[in-house]
Amino acid sequence: MAKFFPIGQVMGFVFSLVLTFVALLVYFTDMSMKTGMIVLLVTAFLQAGLQFMIFMHAGETKDKWSIYSNIAYGFGLVIITVLGTLLILLWDMDM
Amino acid sequence: MAHVDHSKPLEYATEENDLKIFGFWVFLGAEIMLFGTLFASYFALVDRTGTGPTAAEIFEIGPVLAETFILLASSFTIGLAIHAMRLGSKKATLTFMGITLALGLAFLSVEMYEFVHYVHVGAGITVSAFTSILLTTLGTHGLHVTLGFFWGLSIMIQIAKRGFTPATANKTFIFSLYWHFLDVVWIFIFSFVYLKGMM
Repeated sequence: MAKFFPIGQVMGFVFSLVLTFVALLVYFTDMSMKTGMIVLLVTAFLQAGLQFMIFMHAGETKDKWSIYSNIAYGFGLVIITVLGTLLILLWDMDM
Repeated sequence: MAHVDHSKPLEYATEENDLKIFGFWVFLGAEIMLFGTLFASYFALVDRTGTGPTAAEIFEIGPVLAETFILLASSFTIGLAIHAMRLGSKKATLTFMGITLALGLAFLSVEMYEFVHYVHVGAGITVSAFTSILLTTLGTHGLHVTLGFFWGLSIMIQIAKRGFTPATANKTFIFSLYWHFLDVVWIFIFSFVYLKGMM
């Protein structure tokens, strides 16, 4: 039975639960918006990295650098799109 | 007949298999951007509530926690399914996939409850810019889970009928990538839609 539960994936699951509980602190404790956002950014991106590396085996073949750069490119575009949208539509640009 | 390399896991055993897995990663890159545009729109519109309710007024921590833990657990079990496939155990693979899809259904049930709740408290999709983008974002993710459920079910039937071949193993692995990715998207929804909205 134990052979069906590899230690790496079990630890990955435990770690993802821990990260979820840490993220939940922003709800269950009284945190400022700024601290809360930092906590959420760190936990969310760690969770995503965990999924890609441990569960999705992103690094196990010769294609790994192509896969990493593809995912990094996707996230890079998202960050530019989100920040650009916020900059134009929400953040006050009247200097 | 394509050359089968027995030194590699079955899902990577042929050149075509290799390319299909890589191609699916490229597709996931596009999926990241699809959800990225939804997130950008969500952040732009989250405070445009008009005469409708705000995020803090309609979000409930209970269903959100249930959805999060269900999806995290299903991501774990589909990982175990791939591990079992590499060990060559058809029975264990099908068991773990079955658990994964059952968790997927449980997730969808909670999400349907949630949508009914939103409509019930006056946050239907046409109420404000906020409710439109909220339900569009959640709905796009939910649609992916629904699609994944039927896709996974079809693959389970193929494994049951044909066993592990380079083709079925390849499909199973690609399905696992898709399912894990849905969990990644959910983590961002959980963090930046729900938790941020309830802070």
